[in-house]
Amino acid sequence: MSRVYKIASESSVIVYFGSTIDPAISQEVQKSYLALKAEKCESFFEIIPSYASLMVSYDVMQFDFDGVCEKLETIIHHAEEITMNEPKIITIPTYYGVEVGLDLELLAKEKNLTVEEIIALHVKGMYSVYAIGFAPGFAYLGEIDERLATSRLASPRKAVPKGSVSIADRQTAVYPNQSPGGWKVLGRTPTAMFDASYDGLSLLHVGDQVRFESISKAEFLKLGGKL
Amino acid sequence: MKGFLVENGGVQSCIQDAGRRGFSDIGLTQSGAMDEMAFGYANFLVGNDFNTPSIEIALGGIALKAQSEMCIAICGATMHPKLNGHTIGLWQVHQLKKGDTLSFGFASEGQFAYLAVAGGFQTPHLYGSFSTSIKEGLGGIEGRKLKTGDQLPTSGARCPMDRRKLEKQFIPHYPEEITLRLVKGYQEAMFDASSQGTFFNSVYTFKGEGDRMGYRLSGEKVVPSATGILSEPICYGAVQIPSHGEPIVLLKERQTIGGYPKIGSVIAVDCFKLAQLKAGGRVRFKEVSLEEARATTLAFYRFFGQKGV
Repeated sequence: MSRVYKIASESSVIVYFGSTIDPAISQEVQKSYLALKAEKCESFFEIIPSYASLMVSYDVMQFDFDGVCEKLETIIHHAEEITMNEPKIITIPTYYGVEVGLDLELLAKEKNLTVEEIIALHVKGMYSVYAIGFAPGFAYLGEIDERLATSRLASPRKAVPKGSVSIADRQTAVYPNQSPGGWKVLGRTPTAMFDASYDGLSLLHVGDQVRFESISKAEFLKLGGKL
Repeated sequence: MKGFLVENGGVQSCIQDAGRRGFSDIGLTQSGAMDEMAFGYANFLVGNDFNTPSIEIALGGIALKAQSEMCIAICGATMHPKLNGHTIGLWQVHQLKKGDTLSFGFASEGQFAYLAVAGGFQTPHLYGSFSTSIKEGLGGIEGRKLKTGDQLPTSGARCPMDRRKLEKQFIPHYPEEITLRLVKGYQEAMFDASSQGTFFNSVYTFKGEGDRMGYRLSGEKVVPSATGILSEPICYGAVQIPSHGEPIVLLKERQTIGGYPKIGSVIAVDCFKLAQLKAGGRVRFKEVSLEEARATTLAFYRFFGQKGV
């Protein structure tokens, strides 16, 4: 596949692998990301993957734009040969009660489905971690069933509770901490998404696979969940 | 204990170094001093390495009590600092004795001042940096701004030159109108000639809508040819234009990934200038070549003996 290198700033370059959410493109981004990380080049200050692009912030003392593109292309070209390990599968226990699933009833009305059907559709999916951003440990997971695809709230919440399992467009995510946000909330998990005790600090990493498991209120509370 | 006791945290004061590196891929913001130039001079004056934690004081109002002898310098916004009630100068080294009090008024020029102490502050080092990320509640002192009763330990190091002063010609000023040099790139193609004309020929106003994440500017609206793009990584200085049509310049605590079109990126040293712009200040944008942008950034970090950016 062809790659396009573009100037992002005087010290960063963005590489486009495509322009859509597509597992094949995402896989190419992930391989390139892994290859660049493995290089341990001290002049690459940040390597940030997203859906179809990857940004590298580099040391301007070491590289100019052409130089960094050449170096990146050499590494990324060989990344195509990488065989990726089987993805890690992570299960996120989720309590889907309406007291924490703040938008369940709204969504049921919007989609002409029952709350149970919505939960069933969300639990059924196996999702890929496409990108991590917005907040530490906030993973963009895709893609949710077309029947659940939904817009963001017209007026975002000032404070979405920590652990909120939510959806927007065809993506799903967990809010690692209380923060403002406009994604529709289906439930809440007691699992921490970002924690100093985790290897790599974030529970999820780009390339992982995620599934949600419905748990009862009692289990949620037992696992340390807070209403 | 050696160090400062915070008697009043002021509007928003926090510990900052040059920022956090290498964690953007899991969503941690860069953070770091909003104005690395004033930050750099403060550390330079007391003999510290460039990337040494200092106190970033936003708008003013902080009051501190020295619990030991110390050697400090204050650089950046004019906040009329007083030592035991007597006005002292910025951009120079001061010797403090145990029991001395340091108080600050409110900024009359600029927004951010930096208080560096010889040897730096001995505060927690988290994820490769001393910086506080206010947005994330992480780093510095419990991830928050300083408050009454906080202890800020220091090493008690001496300054290499007790009376060092920055020469006048190096002292930056923070005017009410600034020009930001910008490198085009990114989704430049999403802005047609007329949009770009509007953008580069307008004077924008900073109405104070901004924080460590970024500054929103008000003025002529610029319309990108598409409203949303696939979420992608965001770099320092990126100028994004959401559907309201007014530019937002993304700064130290920007989110790592976003989905708005960007016309280009403001070069680092001009982001530092922007950080110091007071509410009501005016901004113009000027396109520069990538070569010129790189040379400017290179010169800045070389001056402070820092490797790269």
